[in-house]
Formats: sequence, C-alpha cells, structure tokens
Amino acid sequence: MRERVLVAMSGGVDSSVAAAMLVREGYDVVGATMKLGCHGDELPDRPCCSLESVNDARRICDQLGVPHYVLNLETAFGRDVVTDFVEEYARGRTPIPCVRCNTFTKFRDLLHKADAIDARWIATGHYARVRDGVLHRGLDPAKDQSYFLWGIARPVLARMLLPVGGQTKPETRAIAHALGLELIAEKPDSQDICFVPDGDHAKVIARELGADTPSLSRGPFVRRDGTVVGEHTGYARFTVGQRRGVPGGFREPMYVVEIQPATRAVVIGPRAELLGKGVVAREVNWLVPAPPVGSEIEVQVRHRARPARGTLVHVDGDAIEIALEEAVSAITPGQSLVLYDGSIVLGGGVIERSRRALPVRAA
Amino acid sequence: MPDFVYLDHAATTPVRPEVLEVMQPFFGPRFGNPSSMHRWGREARTALDEARERLARALGAASDEVVFTSCGTEADNMALLGVWRARSASGRRAVVTTPIEHKAVLAAVHQIGREGGEERLVGMQSSGLVDDESFDALISDDVAVCSVIWVNNEIGVLQDVSSLAKRANARGVVFHTDAVQAFGKVEVDARITPFDVLSISGHKIGAPKGIGALFVRRGTAIEPLMFGGTQDRGRRPGTENVAMAVGLARAAELAVIERVHEWAALEIRRDRLEAALLSCIPDAVIHGRGIPRAPHIMNISVPGVDSESMLMALDLRGIACSAGSACQSGSITASHVLRAIGVSPDLASSAIRMSLGSMTTDACIERVVEVFPTLVAKARRLTPA
Repeated sequence: MRERVLVAMSGGVDSSVAAAMLVREGYDVVGATMKLGCHGDELPDRPCCSLESVNDARRICDQLGVPHYVLNLETAFGRDVVTDFVEEYARGRTPIPCVRCNTFTKFRDLLHKADAIDARWIATGHYARVRDGVLHRGLDPAKDQSYFLWGIARPVLARMLLPVGGQTKPETRAIAHALGLELIAEKPDSQDICFVPDGDHAKVIARELGADTPSLSRGPFVRRDGTVVGEHTGYARFTVGQRRGVPGGFREPMYVVEIQPATRAVVIGPRAELLGKGVVAREVNWLVPAPPVGSEIEVQVRHRARPARGTLVHVDGDAIEIALEEAVSAITPGQSLVLYDGSIVLGGGVIERSRRALPVRAA
Repeated sequence: MPDFVYLDHAATTPVRPEVLEVMQPFFGPRFGNPSSMHRWGREARTALDEARERLARALGAASDEVVFTSCGTEADNMALLGVWRARSASGRRAVVTTPIEHKAVLAAVHQIGREGGEERLVGMQSSGLVDDESFDALISDDVAVCSVIWVNNEIGVLQDVSSLAKRANARGVVFHTDAVQAFGKVEVDARITPFDVLSISGHKIGAPKGIGALFVRRGTAIEPLMFGGTQDRGRRPGTENVAMAVGLARAAELAVIERVHEWAALEIRRDRLEAALLSCIPDAVIHGRGIPRAPHIMNISVPGVDSESMLMALDLRGIACSAGSACQSGSITASHVLRAIGVSPDLASSAIRMSLGSMTTDACIERVVEVFPTLVAKARRLTPA
C-alpha cells in the first residue's frame, strides 16, 4: 500500500516540484491549495494566493495524475495569522506572519485535513530538511527557509516531507523543466507576504483596524533622552533598524532603535544604539529536547542573517534569554529568534526585546 | 460494488445517448444558420421551430412562449431583469424573492437593486418553506416581479408554487420560478400552474451544458438582456444554437415521459439511503426531512464533521458529492440556503449534498451506506468532542 501524502501547493515552482518528486518516488499524492483570503481579481500579478495560482496548482496535479482540492482555511488563517499581524504592529513590533502560518495553518490545520484523508505525510515546498525527526537547514544557503519553521509542533516533524530542501532553486527549476511542468517552471519567487498587496502592510492594518488606529496616527520621533526631533505618520510604518523616513540633519545616519506604542514614539539613534548584547524571546518552541541553561547556541535574529554565537542564560516557562558573544545589530521585537546547532534547528521563539548590556549569567 | 459513485446529479448529468443522437446531424451536414433563406438555413430553421414546439409541449406551453437561452443562469437573469426593466417605469419598482434561491436569481435581484429597484426577501420557515404571511405582506402593488425556487437545489424542498403564483397574480405581480431542479421531477405544466415565467436548464436533465430555456407566458412584458438581431422575436438575439435546442427538446420530452416513474424510483433509493445513514449515525440531521421534497436531493449534516474533509475523503474513495456552493477558486463556503432557514453555522459547515439520478444504482447506495459511516466514525475519532 503506497503511503499517502497531502502536499500543500501554492501553484508555485517549489511546491509543484515537491509534489512531482513525491509522485516519482511512488507516494500516493493528494494536492491541496489553501484558500487563505479573497481570490478576487485585485491581485492579478501576485505569485501566490491569486485565483490563477489555484488554477495552476490544479493543472499541475492534473498533469501529475493526482487529485487536487482547494481547502478553505480563511477563517482560521484570519484569526491566527492576519489578526495577530495587525495586533503585533499595534504593539510596536514587526511580526513575521509566515512563521505563524507555518505553525498554525500549514502544520496544524492542514495536518488535520491530512488526518481526515488518512495521509501519513504532509509535504510542502520549503527549503529545509527533516532527517530522523530532526529539522535541518535547507542545503542551499541562498534559499534556506528553516528560519520560518521553528514553531511547528515537534511531533509533526515525524510526518513532514520537504522534497526540495536538499537542492538549490536552479535545481528545482531544472526538475520542473525535466518533468515537463512548463506551466510553472519559470514562475518568479514570491517576495511579499501573501495577504499584503504591494508589500504595503499599512493598508492591511488600516483595513483591519481602521485608518485612524493609533499605530497609523501621528506621533513623535524622539531620541533616547526623550528629546522630540520630528513627527511621523504612524509607528506601524517603522521597524527597528529602518533608515527610510527617519529625520536627517544629524552628524551620523540615524536609525529606528525602538518603538514605544504607549506614547506612539519612534525612538531614533545612531548605529551604535542598535547593538544588542542579549535577546529575550517568548512563545519558545523546542524541536529537540530543551538544552540546559548554560548551553552554547547559535542564534539567528532575522531571515538570512549570519548566525551569531550565544549562551542560553535563562529559561522561564516559554521565555528564554540568550547572552550574545558579540553584539548583534537591530534585534527587532516580533521577529523570530531561531536557535541552531550547525544545520540543526533546535527551536525558536518570538523576540520580546534586546538587551543593550550583557545579561547576567545564571549560576 | 462500483468503484465510482456519482452522487452529484444536481450539479450536472451526463448527456443522454438519445439526446446526443438527435443533436449529431447539426454538428455535421445540417449546420445551417436558421436565419439564412437558402436550403441549409431552411433546414436549420425547421429543426429549431420543431424543437421549440416540442419543448413547449413538454411545458404545457405554446411555442411562442419558449425562449432558448445559453443556460439556467441566463434564463433566471432574463426573467428577473427583463421583467423588472419592462415594468419598473410604471411604478412597480420592487422585486421579491427568497433567501434560498440559486445565486443566479439572488445576484440578478442585487443587480436590480443597483439599478434602483427595491429588494425584498421573504421570510422562511425553519422547514425551508416560504413563510406565507411574510410573502403576502411583501407582495404589494409596487412589486414588478417575484421569484421563488420551485425545488431548492441544496435541500430539495418543494415550494407550493401554485398557491404562491396565484397570490402574486392577484396583486398584479409577475411570478417567476426557477424550475431548474424541478423540471423532470414535479409536474411542470403551464396550463395547470399559473406561473408567468419559468426557467429550466438542459444539463440537469441529460442535455448538454450551454442550453437553457425560459417560459414567458403570453402577455408578460419582458425586455431582452442582449441586443442584436431579431432572433426569437428580438427577445434573445444571437444565432440560435440549433443542435442544443434540439437536444434540450428531446431531453425535456424524455423527462416528462419518465417523470412519474423516475420520481418513484429515486424516492425509494433516497429513502433507503437516508434510513441506512440515520441508523448508523443517529445524530445526523437531514435537512428538509418530513417536508415535501423532490426525491433526488438529500442534504445531510453530521454534527462535528466538517464537510470539506468529508468531501475529500469521499472523493478519494470514489464517491462524488458536494456541499454548499463552490466559489470561483473551487473552495467551499457554508451554504447560504441552510443559514437562511436558521441552521446553525456549525451544522451548516458539515452539510453534504447527495443528489441521485440516472447514474444511481442500488449498488451505489450500498457503497455509500458502507463508506460514509466509516468516514464519519474516523472523523469523530480525530476530533475530540
């Protein structure tokens, strides 16, 4: 009896090739495209989430000779991902909705659908690898997407197949051509967040919370000492480390170094003020047995950042604190802190804050 | 046991061999345009006129009361928009319909709203029947047209069209009924039932997709939706689809001949299916049960079992059913019909429609009775109560 796998298909090249590879390997493949938002004609050029993408996924499945379904996960996605996204901005943070989509939508809700059709496996087009129940970085450092996968429940690893994670993007495209999947072989990579048209997240916040919501209302630019140095049109338009839209006229370039939602203040400062020696994260999820306090760990505070060395200095419930060996720039609340050991993803959490001074090491 | 079970006849049916046969010549030697004066044209025109007469006879109508359309949706649109546009200038600016109509009617009613008309929705009983008091209150002398679906396409509930049509007529309101699911099941005869306008669709009764028809009683004012030549007295310009008109006429004749026997045969199988499923799943709810229903549609909700997963699981076992209404992407949204008759969102989101027809054998029923409860039991193990 061939083992059944539910493949999450966006209509893009990675998930299409993932499905094709699994068919070739002899799995009983069932394709599914998640409907996460409105499929109107408003986003015709978007690489994913458009009606055209659903149709592409369906046609690829037809070509592969496997069934395809469109699953309506709109309500849960709205609750778990979109609502959290706008609320995080309201809290002065910079969320990564893709992490929550992976955690809750793909590898929880979609997994329930897999259960309903007796699928032993669930597969996606992510560039990451699972070996013996352990999550590893994608083999291609240019495409590695493991940063976005730290939140999935550990038992799910045993059911995950990530067929493209062991190859480069050009290799994936070559397979698409070799298998005759010309429909999608040269599709551009998706860049933006699927529910944020034109990368303009303020539009989504305005739609969900109203255009006059505090995070989109005027507020002051201030220095660390509280000096007001200008006015901005909404702190949700800023993220830590940002230069664009920050007032000029200072001796050195100025960056956003903190957002203070209570006063709507965007704190700016020179590059030195961006440096953090420690980082606190919450909602921590371990994909391996939790390491003890004092463990040396590699950490990554944003996608594609070079891993930094640190020490796990504190654990308190689902919160952890890492002391960094060398200062890291622009540690941003709301982004993910992902913990690695070489290629192995140990776990991760949502960044709560950075520490400018070195945290005190626990005994 | 059959490997594949098609229980979605309310979505569409295969073209009947008898229908395909009579259409065939019109894709070949008898290709003429009915508007041409030469022999090819005459031949096509004769075939078209004959098809119109035969369809009219099947509806208890005169042939000038039959308009061929491209589908049921076009027929519904023409009925609503055509009649409203013809009558609204004289002060009848309102339109009355039910919230359980097919989208083809509801969307046409919204279009009337955009064109300045007043939309009125009749209240429904929880059984799925029109609330008579509400209907009578809304049908006043400022209403141009009202529309009530004869057999609901999701739950099969049968409205008392005869009584509703009489009450509408008494107030000078044009009465339209969407009979897309009714035709071939209930007696549709314009000499017996006083509807003014009625829509049917070919592909629900063994004719191809792409043909429908509208009955328009003599004397009913109606505007065309399209403008062009004088085909069909100018009511429906565009070169007629002769082959499909011939096919629709044949399918309609067969449907009328077989109607009584078909009803009985479908009813027996549906009742057996319902009884078997209810005995295995005692808390299942069959919508419209105990209410006058057409025999080919059964809509079942199993509390706590979401229809999307269930439909996938059924399809992977070779059983084709449907749920709610599919959106453009193909995903399912909870049924507006069930919501309109007060079914809870949870129960509505677990609704599955099984619709029986020409491809339904006793073995099909047995197969579903075997598979469906197993899938339900499994779904319930996965979903902690």
